[in-house]
Amino acid sequence: MTKKEAPVDEHAWASFEAEALPHADQLFRVAMWFERNRQEAEDLVQDTMTQALQSFHRFQRGTNCRAWLMTILQHIRSNRRRSRFRSPVIDDPNDRIAETIPFVPPLPERLTDEDILGALARIPPHLQEVIVMCDVEEFSYKEIARTLAIPIGTVMSRLHRGRALLRQQLRTPADRRQKEI
Amino acid sequence: MQCREVRDLFDSYLAQELLTETNHEILRHLSGCPTCRADFAERRALREALQRAFARARDLEPRSEFSAELGVKLRDIAQAPQRPGLFSHWLALAATLVVGLGLAGTWWWANRLIRDRDLAAVAVGDHRNCALHFTLAEKPISLAEAAQHYDAAYRILEEVPPAEILTSSGTARVLERHSCVYAGRRFAHVVLQYHEKVVSLLVTKGEDGASTSLPLDAALHGDVRRIDDMSVLSFRSARHSIFLTGDVDRAELSSLAEVLAGPLTRRLSSSQTHSSPPAFATAYPRLTTVMSNDSQNGINLTFPGPFWRRASNALGAKCPEAARRLPRPIAAPAG
Repeated sequence: MTKKEAPVDEHAWASFEAEALPHADQLFRVAMWFERNRQEAEDLVQDTMTQALQSFHRFQRGTNCRAWLMTILQHIRSNRRRSRFRSPVIDDPNDRIAETIPFVPPLPERLTDEDILGALARIPPHLQEVIVMCDVEEFSYKEIARTLAIPIGTVMSRLHRGRALLRQQLRTPADRRQKEI
Repeated sequence: MQCREVRDLFDSYLAQELLTETNHEILRHLSGCPTCRADFAERRALREALQRAFARARDLEPRSEFSAELGVKLRDIAQAPQRPGLFSHWLALAATLVVGLGLAGTWWWANRLIRDRDLAAVAVGDHRNCALHFTLAEKPISLAEAAQHYDAAYRILEEVPPAEILTSSGTARVLERHSCVYAGRRFAHVVLQYHEKVVSLLVTKGEDGASTSLPLDAALHGDVRRIDDMSVLSFRSARHSIFLTGDVDRAELSSLAEVLAGPLTRRLSSSQTHSSPPAFATAYPRLTTVMSNDSQNGINLTFPGPFWRRASNALGAKCPEAARRLPRPIAAPAG
C-alpha cells in the first residue's frame, strides 16, 4: 500500500461491498490480460480496490462503477509503467504498421477462443486496451477516454485501427489450418 | 442518416446507449443498406466472440479464493481504528448543539425542504444520465416488472400519460416508458419529446410513506426551479413524488404539468390496491434476443432484447398508441 490509509465508516463499507467488490473478478481478468502475470495482476487489483475503497466518497452514485474502477486500475498501471521506464513510450512502431493496413479482410466464419485471443495478443497493447474496453467491457467512448486519459477522437481512431489489424491477424489461423489440411 | 454516421454509432448502439429514436433511425438505415448491414453483423460477431473468449479463458480466471481473500483484506482496512482529531471533536460538539436545537418545530420543515431539493436533484440526475446520455449502471426494466417487484403503482405509467399530450403551448409525445435507478432511487420514467427537447416525467415513492414534494396546487402556481441547467417542477400524490424535468423554459414545463398532473395524481392516489401485472409482459423479462421471421422476403432478423422488452411491455399493457411505435422488422430487398 503506497497511499496513506484513511478510515472508512460502516455505511461506506456496506455500499462499497455491494457496488464495487462484485467487480473484482472481472477487473482481475482485464488485469491478467494486460499483465500476463498472475501475481502482478492480483497486486494490481488489490491496489485498485484499496484505492477505490479509500476514495469511494468521490464515486458518483448511479454511474458505471466498473468504469470508475477501471480508471483507477489504469492510473495505477500507468504509474507503475512510468516507474519502471524512465521515459514513457510516446511512439509505438506497431502503430505505424496499423496505419498502413492495405485492406480489411472479412471475419472468418469459424473462430475459436484461442484464435481470437491469440490475434488480440498480437496487436499493439494500446490498441488492445481500447478494444478490450469497448468490446469486452462495453464501456462508452466517453468512459474509455476518461479511463485512458485520451481524447474521444483518439479512442475512435484506435478502435478503427485496432479492429482492422485484429481482422488481419484473424485471417492467419484459418489460412494456417487450410495449409495443414 | 448517412452510412458514416450510422457506422460511428454502431458501438453505442450495441452497448444500448442511444435514445430510442436514434435506435430507430439506425434500424431504418440498416434495412435499406446491405453494406452497413453486413458491417454491423461483423461488428457484432467480433464483439460477441471477444466477450465469449474472455469469459471462458481459463488463464484469465482468478483463483477461487481470490475474491474472498480480497474482501477480508479490504474489510480490515475499512475497520482500521479511527483516531479522532481536533476536527472530530468540533464536529461532535456541533452535532450535540444541532440535536439540542433540533426540538424546534422549524427543523422538520427545513429537513423536508432539503430532502425535497435533494430528491429533485436526483430526478434531474436520472433525466440527464438515463434519458439524455443513457449512462446508468443498472439497465432500465419494464414498468410491469418494476410494478411486480417494487411498487404496483408504476403500472399506471404504462397508460398515463397517453402517447400524445396536447398542452396550451404544444404537443408532447411519449418516446419511452420504463423504470430505472439513479443514485439508489428507483423511478418510473416516461421520456417525452416536447418542443424538440427531451423531457422526463419521473415518479418515485415518497420517503417513509410521506411525500417530499409540494402539494399539486402550489406546484402548478409557478414553483419551477432550475437545477443543473434543467427546469424542474415537482408535485405529489398521496404516496408518490412526481417530477417533470427538461431543458425547456418554465412556462412550457408548467403548461405540460397542468395537463399531466390532475389525471396522474388521481390515478396514483387511488392505487392502494393492485392486481398482478399482465402475464404477457412478465413472461419475457429475461429474454435477450428474439428472432423475427419475415416470411414475405424469406429472411431471418434479430432484434436486440431491449426493443423486444419495450414492445412486449407496450403490448402487454394493451396500449395501441405505444404498439404503433414498435420498430418495424428490418426487411432486406428480395434477392
